[in-house]
Amino acid sequence: MKLKSLIGSIAVATSLVVASIAAQAQNSGGTLVMLVQPEPPSLASYLSTSGPIGLMAPKIYDGLLDYDKELNGVPSLAESWEVSEDGKTVTFNLRKDVKWHDGEPFTSADVQFTVMEVLKKVHPRGPNSFKEVTEIETPDEHTAIFRLANPAPYMMRSLGSYESPMVPKHLLEGQDVKSADIANNPVGTGPFKFVEWKKGQYIRLDKNEDYWKEGLPYLDRIVGRFIPDASTRTAAMENGEVHYGAYGAIPNVDVVRLRELDSIGVTTDGYAMINPVSLIEFNTTKPPFDDPAIRKAISLALDRQFLIDNIWFGYGKPATSALSSNYAATGLYAEGMPNYPATGSTEAAIKVLDDAGITPDENGVRATAVLDLIPYGEDWRRAGEYMKQALADIGIELELRYEDVPTWLKRVYADYDFAMNVNYFYQLPDPVLGVHRHYGTDQIRQGTHFVNSSRYSNPKLDELLASGAREADASTRSAMYKEIQEILAEDMPVVNLFEMNFLTVYDSKLKDHDLSGFGAYGSFDRAYFDE
Amino acid sequence: MSHTAKRLRYVLKRLLQAVPIVLAIIVVNFFLLQLAEGDAVDVLAGEAGSATPEYMAELRKKFGLDQPLPVQLAVYLKNVLAFDLGYSFRHEMPVLELVLDRFIPTLLLMVSTIFLAVGVGIILGLLAATGLNTWRDTLISVFALVTYATPLFWVGLMFIVVLSLNFGWFPTSGMENIAAFHEGWDRVWDIAHHLVLPTVTLSLFYLALYTRLMRASMLEQAGMDYVTTARAKGLTERRIMFVHVLRNALLPVVTMAGVQVGALIGGSVIVESVFAWPGLGMLAFEALFSRDLNLLLGIFLLSALLVVSVNLIIDIIYSWLDPRIEVS
Repeated sequence: MKLKSLIGSIAVATSLVVASIAAQAQNSGGTLVMLVQPEPPSLASYLSTSGPIGLMAPKIYDGLLDYDKELNGVPSLAESWEVSEDGKTVTFNLRKDVKWHDGEPFTSADVQFTVMEVLKKVHPRGPNSFKEVTEIETPDEHTAIFRLANPAPYMMRSLGSYESPMVPKHLLEGQDVKSADIANNPVGTGPFKFVEWKKGQYIRLDKNEDYWKEGLPYLDRIVGRFIPDASTRTAAMENGEVHYGAYGAIPNVDVVRLRELDSIGVTTDGYAMINPVSLIEFNTTKPPFDDPAIRKAISLALDRQFLIDNIWFGYGKPATSALSSNYAATGLYAEGMPNYPATGSTEAAIKVLDDAGITPDENGVRATAVLDLIPYGEDWRRAGEYMKQALADIGIELELRYEDVPTWLKRVYADYDFAMNVNYFYQLPDPVLGVHRHYGTDQIRQGTHFVNSSRYSNPKLDELLASGAREADASTRSAMYKEIQEILAEDMPVVNLFEMNFLTVYDSKLKDHDLSGFGAYGSFDRAYFDE
Repeated sequence: MSHTAKRLRYVLKRLLQAVPIVLAIIVVNFFLLQLAEGDAVDVLAGEAGSATPEYMAELRKKFGLDQPLPVQLAVYLKNVLAFDLGYSFRHEMPVLELVLDRFIPTLLLMVSTIFLAVGVGIILGLLAATGLNTWRDTLISVFALVTYATPLFWVGLMFIVVLSLNFGWFPTSGMENIAAFHEGWDRVWDIAHHLVLPTVTLSLFYLALYTRLMRASMLEQAGMDYVTTARAKGLTERRIMFVHVLRNALLPVVTMAGVQVGALIGGSVIVESVFAWPGLGMLAFEALFSRDLNLLLGIFLLSALLVVSVNLIIDIIYSWLDPRIEVS
């Protein structure tokens, strides 16, 4: 497809023009202090997709592509690319003037090494994203040709620097990638260089003076600060000591107050690539949740809008299917799925239960269960309290359980010792990357986190998932995913609750921090202070 | 035997006694920590988003978590005896380095808190006792009661709201201004500026304790026979109070201060968290939730050593305050 490479070149040209105009208009300099919470274990974004790593690492590393706000791929380390007619060959033309922070040149060998030796082997999601890649040819220093076993349309959406950072071959080759020193001393090609990590306090990045984008970045420095207490984070933001907090660093309850201030801006943009959806997982192998009827009844009884309005202060959107409505842009989202009301209906839920023969005992109780709650903050506890009440109305009696992270992870994903678990999943820019892991039989992987812990298994669905991943034709693909969503709305192995709106709170003098589709996980190369 | 030699022998003896205590603390802590569900690999993999069972098994092997417990303990003890506190796989750093890095901020906070709390506590207790049942006594007692009863985190947040947000006198959090990266004396001043709110917050609670203790202790001593004797001898009230009674009344306060040094490390978790102070308390707290057992054991060991040595120092101060207490 020549067209794609043409678009690529046009995008290069425009971005250059934009950059040169911008260079005159924007203020250079300044230190951006952003909240990073909690303190990350390392800065190895090639090993871990952990949120706080995602905030810092993409400022240091580049990806082959970047994504604009409409989630279209735009050139980054690859200045243009071409997908062959059969979808099995992807050629990337790399920029020729890129250097690593240590001065070594960036070449196609780095791309080959990163994908084949690092991402495909040790990245949590890499083995999925690059599953079909069999070989990467490097005919010259600035060309990388990916050979695929089958077409992999989703791969083109996972080439950003957060998901697939390009790492230096010369610093990793011949070492154990998992314990290499570069995890704590990252060397990338990105707009900012790693300088210092004061444990318990901050990570400091300074401007990369030799950055390959002419005149960028504008900021002199980015400092990621760790403040454990949420109220203090809010106070520090209000006081102007920090300028940026994303992914709920400032709790919704405080945002409601801060958004009234002129000095502070609030946005829900920048999370479409991450695509978070909250949900309830069920143990489908044991009563009472081995019966789809009771799972459907729960989906019908819960008032999603109530949860959003009262616990998340209006930030969120009721789920209407197993796929997020953010997939509408790629045509994969199907409207009008059954069993997904925005506001709950006790009557409808009771009818489903009665029809299925799940009847109340003399106390009006139809089933009892323990509801586990994701230990990521108070909001989830309150959501659990609401569910306990709402489901009591249809005769399901719940006991709430809130544990610490390791205990909870082990219970749900290693021991399968749970009945019902509130959680949230990142659906990511393509269902193959974020949604398949939840439902496929091959994703029942005991001991692996955030996969099919419901142990739902449906051969028909497995087949659809497999062909959906390989289908290069967009309209055939969306028909397949419509069927997938219909099956999931009937079987309901997982009740999706709502599409979450994370909030980014920022100093209103800070501009252009949101140009990438990745939002807070973007590079911030064009962010600047307007004063 | 001279007095100094006696004292030295005493110190050595106490240090030797401390060895089995510290070893016992390590063993008990080791088994206590095993009771927690999940391990460091679960947390790392959970944060990473997703990881294969093979990858996790490999990590466990690398961390030594696949070994039976007694073997893990033996390895740990052997390392500790060689002054090696092990490696934190979460931070990819030696435990000793991590702990020492956080020790200085903790020490800063602890020492300034103890001085403030004990110093002001003694003065307030003294003022209350010397003005018994006057408005001064009532005022100080009410103040002590209120600060003792107020939760630390609330005090901290109120200080932030009033003194940082409304008046802008102090920074809300952190140990230094990290947008500026000060050096030299500017940095010292900057750190001192950041230290004020956490110290005052943490002190308030202990301050109340020392005030009340000091007041009670002064009153008790004032009724003793030796005070009557001193008075009969014709000494001034001032001299009786400040030379005779005060010295004796200090003993319980010093005892209390010694006991509380250990508690301060734990009690400072809240203050460290509210003010984002990079101390050991926060490190221990995070280590617990990430099941970083090597790091936790290292912190516990350091705290144990600290408590043992502070107790020793306190005993020596005793003998100085009251020569009747022999160091033998």
